[in-house]
Amino acid sequence: MPGAAERGSELSEQIEAFAARLRRGGERPRSEDTARQTLSLLRKIVGNGRWSRAGELMDLIRTEGQRMTAAQPSETTVGNMVRRVLKVIREEYGRLHGRSEESDQQESLHKLLTSGGLSEDFRTPYPSLRANVIEAINEMLIELEGTTDNIAMQALEHIHSNEVIMTIGYSRTVEAFLKEAARKRKFQVIVAECAPFCQGHEMAVRLSKENIETTVMSDAAIFAVMSRVNKVIIGTKTILANGALIAVSGTHTLALAAKHHSTPLIVCAPMFKLSPQFPNEEDSFHKFVSPQEVLPFTEGEILAKINVHCPVFDYVPPELITLFISNIGGNAPSYIYRLMSELYHPDDYEL
Amino acid sequence: MAARGTARRGAGGGSARGPDPQEEPPPPLQAVLVADSFNRRFFPISKDRPRALLPMANVAMIDYTLEFLTATGVEETFVFCCWKSAEIKEHLQKSKWCRHTSPNTVRFVTSDLYRSLGDVLRDVDAKSLVRSDFILVTGDVVSNFNISKALEEHKLRRKMEKNVSVMTMIFKESSPGHHARCKEDDIVIAMDSATNRVLHYQRTQGLKRFRFPMSLFQNSIENVEVRHDLLDCHISICSPQVAELFTDNFDYQTRDDFVRGLLVNEEVLGNQIHMHVTTEEYGAHICNLLMYEAVCSDIIRRWVYPLTPEMNFTDDKNQSYTHSKHNIYRGVDVSLGHGSVLEENVLIGQGTVIGSNCCITNSVIGQNCRIGDRVTLDGAVLWDRVHIADNVEIHHSVICDEAEVKEKVKLKPRCVLSSQVVVGPGITLSEGTVISLHPPDEEEEDDDQFSDDSGVNKESKVKLKGYNKKDVGSEGRGYLWKADDKNEEDEEEQRQSLWGPAMHSEEESESDSDLSMGSEEPDSRAASPQLDDIKVFQNEVLGTLQRGEEENISCDNLVLEINSLKYAYNIGLKEMMQVLSKVILEFPLQQLDANLDSQTYFSALVPLLKNWTPLFKNYIKRASDHLNALCAIEEFFLEHDSLCTSIAKVLMTFYQLEILEEDVILNWFSLRDTSDKGKQLRKNQRLQKFIQWLEEAEEESSDGDQD
Repeated sequence: MPGAAERGSELSEQIEAFAARLRRGGERPRSEDTARQTLSLLRKIVGNGRWSRAGELMDLIRTEGQRMTAAQPSETTVGNMVRRVLKVIREEYGRLHGRSEESDQQESLHKLLTSGGLSEDFRTPYPSLRANVIEAINEMLIELEGTTDNIAMQALEHIHSNEVIMTIGYSRTVEAFLKEAARKRKFQVIVAECAPFCQGHEMAVRLSKENIETTVMSDAAIFAVMSRVNKVIIGTKTILANGALIAVSGTHTLALAAKHHSTPLIVCAPMFKLSPQFPNEEDSFHKFVSPQEVLPFTEGEILAKINVHCPVFDYVPPELITLFISNIGGNAPSYIYRLMSELYHPDDYEL
Repeated sequence: MAARGTARRGAGGGSARGPDPQEEPPPPLQAVLVADSFNRRFFPISKDRPRALLPMANVAMIDYTLEFLTATGVEETFVFCCWKSAEIKEHLQKSKWCRHTSPNTVRFVTSDLYRSLGDVLRDVDAKSLVRSDFILVTGDVVSNFNISKALEEHKLRRKMEKNVSVMTMIFKESSPGHHARCKEDDIVIAMDSATNRVLHYQRTQGLKRFRFPMSLFQNSIENVEVRHDLLDCHISICSPQVAELFTDNFDYQTRDDFVRGLLVNEEVLGNQIHMHVTTEEYGAHICNLLMYEAVCSDIIRRWVYPLTPEMNFTDDKNQSYTHSKHNIYRGVDVSLGHGSVLEENVLIGQGTVIGSNCCITNSVIGQNCRIGDRVTLDGAVLWDRVHIADNVEIHHSVICDEAEVKEKVKLKPRCVLSSQVVVGPGITLSEGTVISLHPPDEEEEDDDQFSDDSGVNKESKVKLKGYNKKDVGSEGRGYLWKADDKNEEDEEEQRQSLWGPAMHSEEESESDSDLSMGSEEPDSRAASPQLDDIKVFQNEVLGTLQRGEEENISCDNLVLEINSLKYAYNIGLKEMMQVLSKVILEFPLQQLDANLDSQTYFSALVPLLKNWTPLFKNYIKRASDHLNALCAIEEFFLEHDSLCTSIAKVLMTFYQLEILEEDVILNWFSLRDTSDKGKQLRKNQRLQKFIQWLEEAEEESSDGDQD
């Protein structure tokens, strides 16, 4: 079958290109785009891959998923999407296997303890499984489309007139959130510039175009200004399983300052950023890029004598966060574990 | 393989594959990768392994270059190999670049006949491999540069002015004193700031003064920038014309020749060279061990992000690292003994075992190394399977594959142990020691393997019988290549050629370290390989004149030849004058006999001088030229005491032939700041008489004027 072989190699080439793009990670991809690309690649694997049983498909997805996540561990979205698809396969298989919806849910501690031996073997072949899974992935893609809008719709519940809002760096979700609120209400936004990359500047420009009263300030001024702020609204790269954040560096400072002044800290993040990983896994989340932005290469002699680091992300512990606003509504950090079990199957936490 | 490749290309073309902006239907971006340095700077290390495969933070250099090309959107790369081509080929075929999923198709072109970059590009032209603009790099470039912007500029320039700009060179901004700035690659560039056109390109070679042609500033260009803060990345975007130009000018050996030739002939041929300066991205060319060390540490310190060790861009299972605080990278199955400390900037390859109470900082350790207890590594680069026993101290040194260092050995900075060497126990290697399993004089046998000749030490040493226990210790294996012995000039030079001009030797003249520019023809090299440019030039001029004498070539043609030599070696007018005078004065000595008496010498010289008068007149035009010529004459007679007596006659001849003017001779004679010898020379009776005669003649003529 030369046609299938060619399709297979084309697919593997696409995965390779995707992984290479993640690895080079030059232009700071949007998480939503990454999620969409991952899903469409996974859909192709389901559609074109050589498998007949659910178990084989899951193995296939898992190996390809590992390859893609290993390329850039800090892009957790990729792994999350792989886990979502694995969960979908489990569900579809279960439905075809004639099991009721409820029995799949792990509701009680008792069930959790006893379910260990009951794991399914996913051996029975179902011809309709392929179509069903693809259908489910398509639904997920549609769901992705609306995430930012869903979050923005909740803006009016959180932002009131004449409030002073602080944010840091540039997040598309937060941008949409604030713009939505600005359609009805008047409020002021203070943007911390988020050195050394200064994405805050771009954020401020975009907001002021919508006639929102915007102030840019340096990161050092966060604490000083915090006393005047009513709410802090930020975006994030990842939400970890314990409700902590992996967010752009500078966020931890901001969160601590907010805690000190008892200012509520609201995190706008779509559900696909929720990752079942815990922060104790060394080296999987942090990302150090070239120190060029911190101390330029042109500095000359001094560079041989010093070490310069340029981390991209901060870890923000869950106790500093007041509320998560996701596309399915607002949740406290303590509730994250629950969302986690709804989104992913516990067996897939480790890919 | 090829058929499959094209099929894939056809199938993959339609879908959105990769971010390459160069995806539009016009020809895919191509690159020419020269996986040979055509010099011996890395000897004896590169005896066992071609330079392109030397591990840089445990990954072969060529992989960095290929990753750079692939990341920047190149779709077809021609790898030209010469020295150890089979090894390079094998390495690449195993790597991810030759998998059919690779977006960059790698093709090999091998030939043992390549002697220089010029040969490679002539071959590119002969085989018409490139269809449009291509990227030219060598196999030892480490960069994360995104070429697309420079490429766009290049294409725009070529569109605006039909095919005028033939090449865009990429430079990285870095101020002098930067540790990744290679002394021998140091350049001074004059550019047109509006169009980024290169107007003048010169290597500093440790010079303190530079000359720029006046025409540079007299042209209509508004802003001329002279820059010394640039690092040559050795990445250039070339149009297909470049290959053609190399074919047309068969004497172009290196890119330097090409740039120089193009700039000199700019008005004639109308070709221009442009440049692109990057500040953000990283780019470096590893031309010596000093650069090797600097770039290694830059990679570890993440300057080349995303080409960092833990990214594992080669997709090699053995190359997965974890990155933790203070830039510590650890491979799989690394074991670290009790009490051992990894301070900062350390990379440890898979399967390495480190004993207890070690202290490691700023080092790179390869795969499957064994390191004993209480070892101190500071700035060391260890390749794979190195064994280090207990109580060893290593500072800023390179230790190649499977070398072994026994107990209590101490390596001072800039030592090199090439592969399988054993040293120790209990010795201290002084600064700059190089030890290899290859005896040092073996190198001449495979001389033809190389096309360039930097630092070949032909002053053959006595062939060592067995290993010298004093050098390598009682259980040692290996020959001492050179120790850091300041008394012996040659060895000093050789050390420099491996490590590059050392940090502390800034004040030393570095003319010797840049032989790669010389690109002499083989015969002159065989005579005395350690000559600097001027000496080589002198030899060439001598050869030309000899031929001229034998074959009776007219002076005009001689001038033409000497002119071309002058450009080829980048000789200034002043040196040119001195060399010419010296060569002609020495000519009778060369022709007849070194111990002539002054009488016969003079009689042999006079016809020559008469013959070559036009030659002199061509070069001696201004007063300073006259003076230069006179100084050279003086120097010559100082060197040859026996001929001293004929100086007056020689000067007289020069005067009579109207080569030298009387004012200048008088001027020269009255020069005060001369050495004692010079003063003695001036006391020479005949000379004084001659001067007196001149003075009288002048007075007479001025009297005559007054009348």
